[in-house]
Amino acid sequence: MRLAWKMNPSRFRVFVPVVVLSGALLAPAALCASVAVTTGTDAEAKLPYWEVAAPGVSIRLVQRLPAQTRGFFQARGFSVADTDYVAARCVFQTIFRNTAPAVSSDAIDYDLREWVVHAGGVQRGLMTREDWKKIWIARRAPMAAQLAFEWGLLPTRQHYNPGDFNWGMSVYGLPPGTRFDLDVVWRQRGERHEVRVKELRCAPDVSPEPTAQ
Amino acid sequence: MSIFSHRSFWIAALALLLGVARAAEPPAQTLSRIDPPFPAPDFTLTGEDGNTYRLSDYRGKVVVLNFWATWCPPCREEMSSMERAHQKTRGENIVLLAVNVGETADQVFEFTGHYPVTFPLPIDADGAVLRRYPVVGLPTTFVIDPRGRVIYRAIGGREWDDERLLAELRKLVRR
Repeated sequence: MRLAWKMNPSRFRVFVPVVVLSGALLAPAALCASVAVTTGTDAEAKLPYWEVAAPGVSIRLVQRLPAQTRGFFQARGFSVADTDYVAARCVFQTIFRNTAPAVSSDAIDYDLREWVVHAGGVQRGLMTREDWKKIWIARRAPMAAQLAFEWGLLPTRQHYNPGDFNWGMSVYGLPPGTRFDLDVVWRQRGERHEVRVKELRCAPDVSPEPTAQ
Repeated sequence: MSIFSHRSFWIAALALLLGVARAAEPPAQTLSRIDPPFPAPDFTLTGEDGNTYRLSDYRGKVVVLNFWATWCPPCREEMSSMERAHQKTRGENIVLLAVNVGETADQVFEFTGHYPVTFPLPIDADGAVLRRYPVVGLPTTFVIDPRGRVIYRAIGGREWDDERLLAELRKLVRR
């Protein structure tokens, strides 16, 4: 602005609108270019969520109570022991979307094997479909249950065009109630993007209280 | 207002409004073109209604082939719009087939009590048909042209009665 004040009045009349217009046009782009990580309570699940929002990308992680996980997988044919095994390993409902407008050609790719869990000074990966397949074979889980588990999990790798999305569970291999940070990674327009989501919290192993009449 | 002219102020306001409006856009109703198209793997499955459904019986029509499960939230969410699309396109050589993955006829029947639909719901109990298509997450929907080629794919739910999507399907019928 100091530069503008030194200009003569005629130049000033041209300069200010140009600066304002450029700022106005670039401001939304600059805002969009940033990555926002927000947290709150998911309106539908009534449980805490953490969300990464960047231009064309939305990733929401919603806590799942161990009791919900047990109920879901028992209904799909798993034994009580098997559902306890999953429920004790920190499960989140995950919604990954390509939010780019239809006219855009911006695809997104991700690979969960690039995501990193930081907990208690230790780094580890997520438990993917492939990891669980080995576990269920070893535990001799029924085939129908294995099928539901495989498709209930967020895909290990995915390619989303604008408008595409998945819902799926992601499993972090941590005890209930554990706090952790998560490095979320995706690729867009050939660029690797990485965001650390801080202080996520695995749901505690508590049963929901009955609602008072 | 002494520094900023009225014109530049309104231009700035408009630009900001456009930015906000874009951020608030509803999800894009898109179909991703498959290039090159590939022949749709044929299958024969029994439906929740006990009838037999063979994909190749629909040759000459546009088939919207959806893979879903009752426990999958976006699958449930899009089911009503598929029914509306089915009603809107009756007699237009557009067929909807929603293949349930990994469940029983009883589970699917119970589901239809909550989400009544009138198009076929074939059941792929062991996921064998699903594995012949490039699917990595549910729901995934393919659009098959009258020549039996897979032309489009949609990952995640859509509003299938959206006029833009219906226009794409109708274009394939006329081709």
